[in-house]
Amino acid sequence: MNDLIPMLSGSLGNPFELIDLPVDDWVTWFVDWLVNTFRDFFRSWVSPPVKTVMEGVQWLLTSTPPLAVLAGLFVLAWRAASWKVGVFAVVAFAFIGFMGVWDELMTTLSLVITSVLFCLVIGVPIGILCSRKDMTYTLVRPILDIMQTTPPFVYLVPAVMLFSIGNVPGLIATIIFAMPPTIRLTNLGIRQVPGQYTEAATAFGSTPRQILWKVQVPLAMPTIMAGLNQTIMLALSMVVIAAIIGAGGLGLLVFQGLNRLDIGQAFVGGLGIVLLAMVLDRITQGLGEKAPGSRASSDD
Amino acid sequence: MIRAEGVTKVFGPNPESVKSLLEQGKSKDEIQSETGHVVGVNNASFEVGAGEVFCIMGLSGSGKSTLIRCINRLIEPTFGKIILNDPEHGEMDIATMDGPTLRRVRSQHLSMVFQHFALFPHKTVLANVVYGLEVQGRDKAEREELGKKYLEMVGLGGWENHYPDELSGGMQQRVGLARAVATEANILLMDEPFSALDPLIKVQMQDELIRIQQELGRTILFITHDLDEAMRIGDHIAIMDAGKIVQVGNPEEILVNPKTEYVAKFVEHADPTGVITAETVALPFSDRYFNRVGEEAGNQIWNRTGYTDVEFHVDTNGHLAKMRCEGNDVALHELEEKITESGGAPERHTDAAVHCTTDTILKRVLRGRAYSELPVIVQDAEGRLKGIIDEPELIHGILEKHGYAQDD
Ligand SMILES: Nc1ncnc2c1ncn2[C@@H]1O[C@H](COP(=O)(O)OP(=O)(O)OP(=O)(O)O)[C@@H](O)[C@H]1O
Ligand SMILES: [Mg+2]
Repeated sequence: MNDLIPMLSGSLGNPFELIDLPVDDWVTWFVDWLVNTFRDFFRSWVSPPVKTVMEGVQWLLTSTPPLAVLAGLFVLAWRAASWKVGVFAVVAFAFIGFMGVWDELMTTLSLVITSVLFCLVIGVPIGILCSRKDMTYTLVRPILDIMQTTPPFVYLVPAVMLFSIGNVPGLIATIIFAMPPTIRLTNLGIRQVPGQYTEAATAFGSTPRQILWKVQVPLAMPTIMAGLNQTIMLALSMVVIAAIIGAGGLGLLVFQGLNRLDIGQAFVGGLGIVLLAMVLDRITQGLGEKAPGSRASSDD
Repeated sequence: MIRAEGVTKVFGPNPESVKSLLEQGKSKDEIQSETGHVVGVNNASFEVGAGEVFCIMGLSGSGKSTLIRCINRLIEPTFGKIILNDPEHGEMDIATMDGPTLRRVRSQHLSMVFQHFALFPHKTVLANVVYGLEVQGRDKAEREELGKKYLEMVGLGGWENHYPDELSGGMQQRVGLARAVATEANILLMDEPFSALDPLIKVQMQDELIRIQQELGRTILFITHDLDEAMRIGDHIAIMDAGKIVQVGNPEEILVNPKTEYVAKFVEHADPTGVITAETVALPFSDRYFNRVGEEAGNQIWNRTGYTDVEFHVDTNGHLAKMRCEGNDVALHELEEKITESGGAPERHTDAAVHCTTDTILKRVLRGRAYSELPVIVQDAEGRLKGIIDEPELIHGILEKHGYAQDD
């Protein structure tokens, strides 16, 4: 009785001493378990496709002469947005080239293209599934919140443990970090399609699949494109972080520059990333505005 | 062609639970305050014949949209049957059919025009028009040919490659109409298709619909809250009040003989001149309103009680042999003849009267009266004198929407 009183008063002052939750141990245990159980699975099933696509894209971009890349870029930006964006893109890329970091630019571009491709291939179908059933979205939403709010450094460690050093863990981390907007905005875009259009499609005897592909997805396209735009921006923001674990490219210039206190080199890398971001942003915004579904907004 | 039997739609968590209340005849408001369920449509039954335009009208919230959406099950009816009489498959109940059959019926037998057009904004005009054909699985060449044909029909040939947002409201609804008729479905469901249009465009579109209907002979279920519109285009009209159909009839029956206070309120402001017929407003030719004053050359001479200056000479077959006004003979003209003859400038004669058949609408009788001060003679198909229309009958007919004959 006597020594209960000081103990109680002590714990009343600081209740956190009463219980000690060993969350850190649990996580360590969980990650160990994850790595030990799935390392082989990840290395033999997840790595190869990511690696193959990355190498393919990189091969294509680096084996094409820079002038041809610039020409292709102009045509793409012009068709997707406008000739002004085309000119801007070519000037920006040429400027990066003249700074002497063209190869790094191509590596970073390959990283972005590869991770965004995977984000779309995985994210759009998940977004569509979410839009069909409230239940699915209720389940997926907290996962998206975790993916987006966890600081990207945090999953670098398990990614390296699972995939070892190199491009792949960086790409995987980028894919995870950049995918949520694609899923969210695909879901949102489809849900926002005004009921009158799906009703009209239903009245003409469309199947749910026809309604999805002929009406909902096209009308959701501007929103899906906004998701793609955000995904690209997030992927670019991962480029420096991914460089830490060996992804290379412009990010590596920044990372090394900072490490060696070579401000000049870090700045060149940083400027390259910013210009690349602006080019990709203008192109995807143009895509969204040119999607035929964007006419929905001018119609009531 | 299509028949609704006791179609009922209850909105709420447990729609079936209000069945007994509905059977007790409780009203929409009572059920809503007792159970919180909203009765959208209450036991609606009607039949639409092939090639007929059937209008459903009622105030906002009376359940028109809900009812028309029950027909193609955009809204699932809680109770009732919707019998479609399809020449190929016989009678089918839409309310209970499975998904694939329902989709087939929607795509081949029922098509729809919407109040706010609901054109797909990402598709061109032509792609919109052929949407139903695409769902039917027709090949591209056939789709385009049919699509162009129907666009032509609604007067939008040449607009194929434009987008809906480049068109005015009236043009958009023409596209909506073309999209609906292009599937060659025999039943057209139209939910207030012209309500969102300007009055002038609206009348144009009504004319267009009447023309297209004459050309194609589809069966049309047409929703409107505008009685004049219903009277213009409807062969039959059903009036809805708080989810119930309170009266069904042809336009003149509804106008002349409203069954409830609600219907009477509705028709109060309707323009009767396009609907009411000469027969309804005419003073019937009978000894109740006319006196026999003599005989001449085998014809009986009558005049209207209280009006001695006009004489009606009727032969033994009941035909009007001649008219005399203040001792002078009066020439009898067809309505049209008199109107064309004067080239549109009305000049009133005291020596000429016009005559018309019993089914002539009031508007034309009025126009005829502009050329003559004498009563209009109403004759049946065999030319027998049925009655006369003088100023009192016209005024009474327009104001009260029925004639002296029905007063008692
Ligand atoms: N989804 C719904 N849930 C609950 N109540 C509904 C729903 N849809 C319609 N209602 C109710 O059903 C009734 C009939 O509505 P409906 O839209 O059919 O009327 P309407 O005659 O078409 O009116 P309007 O002329 O305004 O189009 C209204 O009382 C409405 O509030
Ligand atoms: Mg409505």
